[in-house]
Amino acid sequence: MEELLFGIGISAVAGALATVSGAAEDTESDIGSQGDPNSQVQLAPQMGYIHRIYSKAISGEPPAYGLWCALGAGLAWALMAINYNPVLAIVLGSAIAVFVQGIYATTAYLGRTASLAKFGQPVYIDLIKSVTTVTMAHAFIAIFTCVSMCFLMVNALRHPFPLPLLGLVWGIALGAAGSATGNPFYGKERQYQSQKFGAGVPISASGNIVRYAEAGQRSSLDNGWFTSKMGGPASGVCFGLIVFLELWRTIFFEGFAAGWGAVIAGIVLILIFMIIDRMVEKWARRTYGPYTEEKKEEVSS
Amino acid sequence: MTALGSGSGGGQGMKPVAVVVGLVILVVALAAVYFLAPGMAFMALIGVIIGGVLIGFGVHFVPVGGAPAAMGQSPGIATGVTMLAAGAGLAGLFGGAWAAELGFGVALAGGAIGGALMMAITCLMVNVVYVYAMGIPAASGKVAKDPITGDTFEAYKSQGTEGHGLPFVSYVGGVIGGLLGGLGGTLIYLELLGVYEASLPQLMGGSIDQIVPLAVGLAGIFAVGLFLVNAVIAAYNITGTIEGPHDPKFKRFPRAVIGCAIASAVCGLLAVMLVV
Repeated sequence: MEELLFGIGISAVAGALATVSGAAEDTESDIGSQGDPNSQVQLAPQMGYIHRIYSKAISGEPPAYGLWCALGAGLAWALMAINYNPVLAIVLGSAIAVFVQGIYATTAYLGRTASLAKFGQPVYIDLIKSVTTVTMAHAFIAIFTCVSMCFLMVNALRHPFPLPLLGLVWGIALGAAGSATGNPFYGKERQYQSQKFGAGVPISASGNIVRYAEAGQRSSLDNGWFTSKMGGPASGVCFGLIVFLELWRTIFFEGFAAGWGAVIAGIVLILIFMIIDRMVEKWARRTYGPYTEEKKEEVSS
Repeated sequence: MTALGSGSGGGQGMKPVAVVVGLVILVVALAAVYFLAPGMAFMALIGVIIGGVLIGFGVHFVPVGGAPAAMGQSPGIATGVTMLAAGAGLAGLFGGAWAAELGFGVALAGGAIGGALMMAITCLMVNVVYVYAMGIPAASGKVAKDPITGDTFEAYKSQGTEGHGLPFVSYVGGVIGGLLGGLGGTLIYLELLGVYEASLPQLMGGSIDQIVPLAVGLAGIFAVGLFLVNAVIAAYNITGTIEGPHDPKFKRFPRAVIGCAIASAVCGLLAVMLVV
């Protein structure tokens, strides 16, 4: 019983760490414009809209976070092997991984922006100074919490994978969850604030991103401020739920039916989420639509 | 990642010469392992190929809209095919590896459900953001009606877009994709772990207890690697965006299945030959 309670407590802590990690990851990627909407930042100067928004998307968030978390976890693992205190080892590992992220961010911004020189897009040195450090700070929180969570999984919950491999696995999952959930909010709600709320962005508006803030030109720091209100927390809840429920169902139900209890619990959870999703979908249809009069039956596909 | 409106074109058929060359490579890989290390290693390679095919097939179910989805210009999840499928499958692999000591069946089911659960939560949160933060209802651009719920889409589509949000059929597709990805990844891991645990003690002259961490690490790394190989092949087959099983692009899966089988055979050959 004590072991079970300990396991559930660790699951809760890991879930909380994952929530912070998801929120920081999404905010970092929105400040650095690394998610999928970055194509609009890249496209804007070609359409004649010069801007002061950072763009560091060379690869997507999942492989990038897979690298950084594996790096942080690997370094922490190596430091722990030479008897460093785990907390210090994780902090140092994450800090070194963040320097790699900083180098990546700087070179990616310079490279991507320099390629737009023929469209008149300048490279802003003040942006490198101000934005890079802010993305690094957010990345540190994301990496540190993710590696700490992996450390708990290995040491407290006895997962068989070594720490660096878990860092890679959960880093990729972190990037996938954050990029899936937070990206649309940054992409549409932030970049296209000139479009009306409650509809998709017409394809003809591609590249016409909003470039001015309340006072002067908008920079990527404003994006962090905006998306941390909704996109960041939503990503955090998403990743936190994934980690917590994955651990919780295993620890709580694995003892039943020779391990099949955890599988059945997983199926029940999936069905519950499916029902909630359907309710959300129906609510949206009732509240927002229809935009045009419904045609009878024969709608072309 | 902006293959907006690329439709179902792009060569749905398979080139016979390429298929034959690929199958020859597959048979050569199988024959090499059969003659060098029949028995367990051969069966493991078969398992790796099946796992790879499951991953490649599963990726086709995952609804991915890329950059257009992030602007509400096309339906799906706003990220890349490979990334999302890999994230779901690796979350499944995490669960499967954890349950490995409880037996083959439990571990496979645990891996599959882990991947499906990750996708179920992600898809729900995606819809929550679309609906409550962006005010967008789900509407498919590829079909007039949701094949599962029967909802019509045309009237809910914003002007100038190819649809948006995550219709229920796409949600179910995402869960099935995560399920198959987690299953395939865990199968690859378990097969390779079996081979390494059997061969490494003799090869390195240590006891099984000393070898287990190395075997787990190696099998895990190869499983992650094979996962990414198969997910990337499937992503190339899809080219950009796909809404799920109802999307016309879904019919392209046989080509990816063959490609994944061949790539898994070659990668699996390397993974197995490491110890035999």
